[in-house]
Amino acid sequence: MVVHLTLAGLWGGLLALERRAFLQAMFSRPLVAATGTGLLLEDAESGLFVGLVFELYWLGSASLGGVHQDHETLPSVCAAAFASTVSAAAHSPGTTAIWSLAILLFAPMGIAGRAIENALDTRAVRYLGEAMTSAEGENFRRVARQNLWGMWPHFVAFGLLSFAAAAAGYLFEPIERDMPRALLRGLGWAYPVIASVAAGLAVRGSSSKKAAVLASAAALAVLATLAVTGRFS
Amino acid sequence: MTVTKTLARSVRLRVFWRSLFIQAGYNPRGQQSLGLTYALLPALKALYPDPRAEGEAVQRHLATTFNTHPYVATAMVGGILHHEERIARGEAPPASAQHFKASLMGPLAALGDGFFWFSLRPACGALSAALYPWLGVWCALLFLVLFNAVHVTARARFFLLGYRHGDGIVAHLSRANISRWGERLRAVAAASAGALAAYLSVVFANRSGLSVPLLTGACLLIAVLSFAVAVGRGARWAALYGSALLAIVAGALQ
Repeated sequence: MVVHLTLAGLWGGLLALERRAFLQAMFSRPLVAATGTGLLLEDAESGLFVGLVFELYWLGSASLGGVHQDHETLPSVCAAAFASTVSAAAHSPGTTAIWSLAILLFAPMGIAGRAIENALDTRAVRYLGEAMTSAEGENFRRVARQNLWGMWPHFVAFGLLSFAAAAAGYLFEPIERDMPRALLRGLGWAYPVIASVAAGLAVRGSSSKKAAVLASAAALAVLATLAVTGRFS
Repeated sequence: MTVTKTLARSVRLRVFWRSLFIQAGYNPRGQQSLGLTYALLPALKALYPDPRAEGEAVQRHLATTFNTHPYVATAMVGGILHHEERIARGEAPPASAQHFKASLMGPLAALGDGFFWFSLRPACGALSAALYPWLGVWCALLFLVLFNAVHVTARARFFLLGYRHGDGIVAHLSRANISRWGERLRAVAAASAGALAAYLSVVFANRSGLSVPLLTGACLLIAVLSFAVAVGRGARWAALYGSALLAIVAGALQ
């Protein structure tokens, strides 16, 4: 358990840095972040299915000109960590019910992540002030360090939240065991519905001029293929 | 004695590496100015041996707001090196670097946002997600490979173009006709999302043991409604939680 919680915290913190401060090579996108969380916590399937939904849900969102959108990395890591640690505590594979619950519980963390990011941005003004004072004193090494200091608060804040989400999975597992079967069945039904909503939003988020036509044609092609192969009956 | 002030390759590489941290100290006042200065410091040290002149150059970049797309920022960084070399040689006034930044950071930001954030990333994300039935968890790796093959190449190329051509980078970027690729990539994203919606609805309808055509039809209807109504952020949340609640109630009552 300690290893899982530590890995979740480190991974969440590093991804917050990758998303914001360094490289932006898309390790922090939901598909990669959540799948990676699942792999680290030994439940890659839960990570993948949480990541698929969040990737689609936030497909077309982007922070522009300093105006932040929802923080898609934080809910992805938290939900995948929660679902994976519930499975680990139960010694059983992930279920659609837990994936749905994780997505519904942690999706609002996107708003929380954005608020934290805005607060840390405001805090970072002090590093600029320090850098300007250092530049006036011709202490250029200190100027350089101020830029790097700006990364620590992101690492700590998002790492702690990811750690907490993984811990919540372990704490929740006994509750899940006692949940009514009907509710679990309902949550299981919710997964494809949530995925459908996310896919509809992704088609809009694609910003293509012919989004509706292309998405419909592709959906029909898939349905026809599945019908021919006998999986749609 | 004439001093030829040209930056060594090792210094340019250090500047490029440091430009990857351009958003580390982002703040509402100077935005990326701290990150930009951090990237430029090795070059400014090499170009201005006199600490006072170096300090003036540092202040030049630290004190003015800078904000652009983090990938095309490398073009700006390369272009600033081009100008700073000329300033150090006495061929251009110190204001030339400021003019370069002020005139290009907005247009280049728009270019980067439109191509990388609204075209390439959705296309790679949706396509990789749509290929999960074949690739499983490897679809996440595919996303990284597809996106970064373009991203890393572009970042390095932008830096070189900026350094070699300075203000002439605009002409080189316009020749690349990046916007033409944008619509194609957005079309890939839309088609992939549609295909994935259909696949997931059939797979999970099969798992439920209920009528597959009925459940698939219901899921696809929900996807169409989400596409049609969820324009604002509030509507997106309402679509997500409203649909989930209906499904939970229906499943619980079944």
